[in-house]
Amino acid sequence: MVAKGQKRKLHGEDEGGGSAWESQLQSVLDISMDKFHRDQALVEPCLLRSVLINNTLRQVQSEVRAQVESLSAVNIPTKLKPEPDFPQLSPPAEHNAPLFSANAENTEDEFMAWTSEEDFSLSSAISAILKDLDTVIDAGQGPCASQRAPLSSLENLTQYPLRTERTSDIASSIKTEVMSPGCPQDGALDKFLLDIDASVFEPEVNLLQGFSVTADDLVKYLPSLSKSPSASSSSSLVSHSQATWEIQELEHVMDILMRTYPQS
Amino acid sequence: MKCFSRYLPYIFRPPSSLLSSSCHTEADIISTVEFNSTGELLATGDKGGRVVVFQREQESKNQPHRRGEYNVYSTFQSHEPEFDYLKSLEIEEKINKIRWLPQQNAAYFLLSTNDKTVKLWKISERDKRPEGYNLKDEEGRIRDPTTITSLRVPVLRPMDLMVEATPRRIFSNAHTYHINSISVNSDYETYISTDDLRINLWNLEITNRSFNIVDIKPANMEELTEVITAAEFHPNQCNTFVYSSSKGSIRLCDMRTSALCDNHSKLFEEPEDPSNRSFFSEIISSISDVKFSHSGRYLMTRDYLTVKVWDINMESKPLETYQVHDYLRSKLCSLYENDCIFDKFECVWNGTDSVLMTGSYNNFFRMFDRNTKRDVTLEASRENSKPRAILKPRKVCVGGKRRKDEISVDSLDFSKKILHTAWHPNENIIAVAATNNLYIFQDKVN
Repeated sequence: MVAKGQKRKLHGEDEGGGSAWESQLQSVLDISMDKFHRDQALVEPCLLRSVLINNTLRQVQSEVRAQVESLSAVNIPTKLKPEPDFPQLSPPAEHNAPLFSANAENTEDEFMAWTSEEDFSLSSAISAILKDLDTVIDAGQGPCASQRAPLSSLENLTQYPLRTERTSDIASSIKTEVMSPGCPQDGALDKFLLDIDASVFEPEVNLLQGFSVTADDLVKYLPSLSKSPSASSSSSLVSHSQATWEIQELEHVMDILMRTYPQS
Repeated sequence: MKCFSRYLPYIFRPPSSLLSSSCHTEADIISTVEFNSTGELLATGDKGGRVVVFQREQESKNQPHRRGEYNVYSTFQSHEPEFDYLKSLEIEEKINKIRWLPQQNAAYFLLSTNDKTVKLWKISERDKRPEGYNLKDEEGRIRDPTTITSLRVPVLRPMDLMVEATPRRIFSNAHTYHINSISVNSDYETYISTDDLRINLWNLEITNRSFNIVDIKPANMEELTEVITAAEFHPNQCNTFVYSSSKGSIRLCDMRTSALCDNHSKLFEEPEDPSNRSFFSEIISSISDVKFSHSGRYLMTRDYLTVKVWDINMESKPLETYQVHDYLRSKLCSLYENDCIFDKFECVWNGTDSVLMTGSYNNFFRMFDRNTKRDVTLEASRENSKPRAILKPRKVCVGGKRRKDEISVDSLDFSKKILHTAWHPNENIIAVAATNNLYIFQDKVN
């Protein structure tokens, strides 16, 4: 799962909460985007349905942003450094409680655990991605076209497939796979990224968790909005050097994305 | 009416015949059920645009046990599929709602609507026919006028009862979005039709004009975050109506305050419970049905997991909240994925406003007694519905040991959903639509 490889042993017992939240976030995002795309393909999507899905997507987005901001509030460096400092872990600044506030305290602890030195740069990378996402959405002032108009802002996402790299944990957890169907460049990028994955990563660091989860698997995550034993929570720390590598790799991938899909 | 609780939970038994179509096609799926104001007639609309009206058998000394059975009275094609050439869209013929008009003469009138067009139908009986025309013979062929040597006056002779349905008014071209509700006013002169963003007021006599009274369409459609899901007139006050939204709020409007009722007189909204908050909070708070009580004093709303009763004098929170199937709360993500979370369940009051009824999955439907606070889950299924058998209460087990006869949450069939139910206005007779089958149950005391 997302941050399994990065959790500190100190907070080992409550690691399930954060992962469950993240997996649900990811699945809600995936499902919502899938529905959104399907509805776009319809001649006349149901307006109630479209509005509800759209609102859910916005909610996911704001939730992600809130979490990233909370991470940034704890993390001090805002630009990528090869040798990040090790600031004191202070209690996170006041921020909106995560949606599953039944587990709020645990989740906050999760993020405390996550805010290890390796994550600072990753979180700032996520912030950058989210800013881009915002820009795209705000820029999407397409002309209204009958019932599809409410979602025209999100339509622009399809022109800008933000594909967070699998090499980073948090980034990949908020993977916004908004791909135009049949876009050949995506396939090429896929292969490129896969190559990176296969050749570089150490096996025990589980960074590719949960992305090909099936609908049935999703149900496993569901009942446990509150504390749930995570499926496989390994709490091995990632070595500093590997984190450094990840940071550089992420930068590299972001460059590729920017070049391949320039913002319109 | 006698005390309802005395009959719970063994109250209902099915009639001797089960009304259903033999082959299940998509077009046979029942999409609306409605008793008329006396309960004598029961109308159903289906996805194929057909309306089937059932009539209750009169009491007969010869066959007292057959009292109260409903038989087919009239069947007609209300709406046909249409094509909107301007937008290149097909308009579904599915009947979204049927509402009866109060009876004023021998004929019956109902309003039926699909996504775009409301029609007023007249259902009348013909049991006599004129015979003895001069210019036509008995088969209707024109007679050669030169052969007519004498004149006679046609006389009315009895014939087999024929029930005919004729469209009397067609109210069209007033809705850009899909109509979800119609409601007849207590003045019996006007009615409202509601789509996702607008509510229009019509006069029953006038089809080429309607008056828009609520419009929540934003100037920029990209800012749209809320749609109208249902609307209803107050049962007694002809100036008052309510409409519900996808964000879980109900607005009560008074048509006397202004011509455009965009500003509500009352807003009924319950603050969100932070402990239950999730990604799906908004979706499950979307109200799928709103109904005034017969008295007009209360409102009932249905959202995905609950039924709520509101006092129209108290806007801050509902008077009562009933859990329909709270065991689904932990399954919301998969219900979101398979689209079940968007199912629009309806809810109904009984005649005395003491019992609420609404549908659920697995062909279950639930009743809540407001006075005793007891509730029951019943199932509409062929297997359990032998004639004159008593319906057994069902129970869903949420975890742990499953008792015999209980069904576990994971075994529920989500394709069998009861969205539409109706309750006789005066008696304990209920109509439950389960996909393409209509079940009519009544209490055992005749």
